[in-house]
Amino acid sequence: MIDVDEICEPEWAAWYRMTPEERWNESARLWHHYVAMGGSLDPEPDPQSPFYDPETSGRPPVDGRPGLRVVRRSGV
Amino acid sequence: MGGQACVLYGAAEFSRDLDLALLPDPANLARLESALDDLEAERIAVPPFAPEHLEAGLAVHFRCRRTDVRGLRIDVMTRLRGVDPFPRLWARRTTFTFGEETLDVLALPDLVAAKKTQRDKDWPMIRRLVDVNYLTHRGDPTPERIDFWLRELRTPELLVETAREHAGAARTLIEKRPLLELATAGRLESGDLGRALRDEEEAQRSADAAFWRPLRQRLEELRREARRRQR
Repeated sequence: MIDVDEICEPEWAAWYRMTPEERWNESARLWHHYVAMGGSLDPEPDPQSPFYDPETSGRPPVDGRPGLRVVRRSGV
Repeated sequence: MGGQACVLYGAAEFSRDLDLALLPDPANLARLESALDDLEAERIAVPPFAPEHLEAGLAVHFRCRRTDVRGLRIDVMTRLRGVDPFPRLWARRTTFTFGEETLDVLALPDLVAAKKTQRDKDWPMIRRLVDVNYLTHRGDPTPERIDFWLRELRTPELLVETAREHAGAARTLIEKRPLLELATAGRLESGDLGRALRDEEEAQRSADAAFWRPLRQRLEELRREARRRQR
């Protein structure tokens, strides 16, 4: 039998092994941490979505990752 | 419906938006409006929040303004491409309970069907959703589970293992999923199975794009109308 570690990264294997309740609680913990760090809840623009509308989508994150927004910058 | 269900089923770690699938009867829509008021949610983008747009298969989008959920995006739909009507989805939903909390989400096969879209990000999610279910339950293979795994597994190694362990069921499903014929160690090694899985994905993505073409046109018309009204 193929072991879970053979088909995915260790972090994912650990996530797979959790119960739904453990995953839910861990996700909630991540959520609170993310919000406390100032992460935006506005989803990134998704040009592949049929609903994508550039006029109403949030601004894309500056580094392509969730939550990082420019709040101040020099003139460059 | 989407992200939160994926967390529970094991395919995602974190979801920032909230997708709701609901029965569009007047009482239900009134309850939704009340909940959205509580979250100080404002509708963004088109279409307007009206039953005919939901019935057409469009989603209505909201963004919350209440301090504790500021910016949270909520998308509401009543019809999803490739899945049954809401009453049937509701009848076979999965209910999770945590203490006194109860959470109803799409059944796993329905969630997988709903994720077969044209978007890149949905396909790794589908693979994980089915992988977790297989790895968790392969020691207790009911006929329903075997059928689900053989129809939906996308990790070639696991598909070969399942087809070997349940060869009879795999043979009967070849007509519905022709690539099962390639679910052997040899065809895995040669790359044929991987290619067939990619072709299968591409066909689904094209079907989704074709489904959305007229709806995208309708959305564009609604956007133009909204812009005209703003002037």
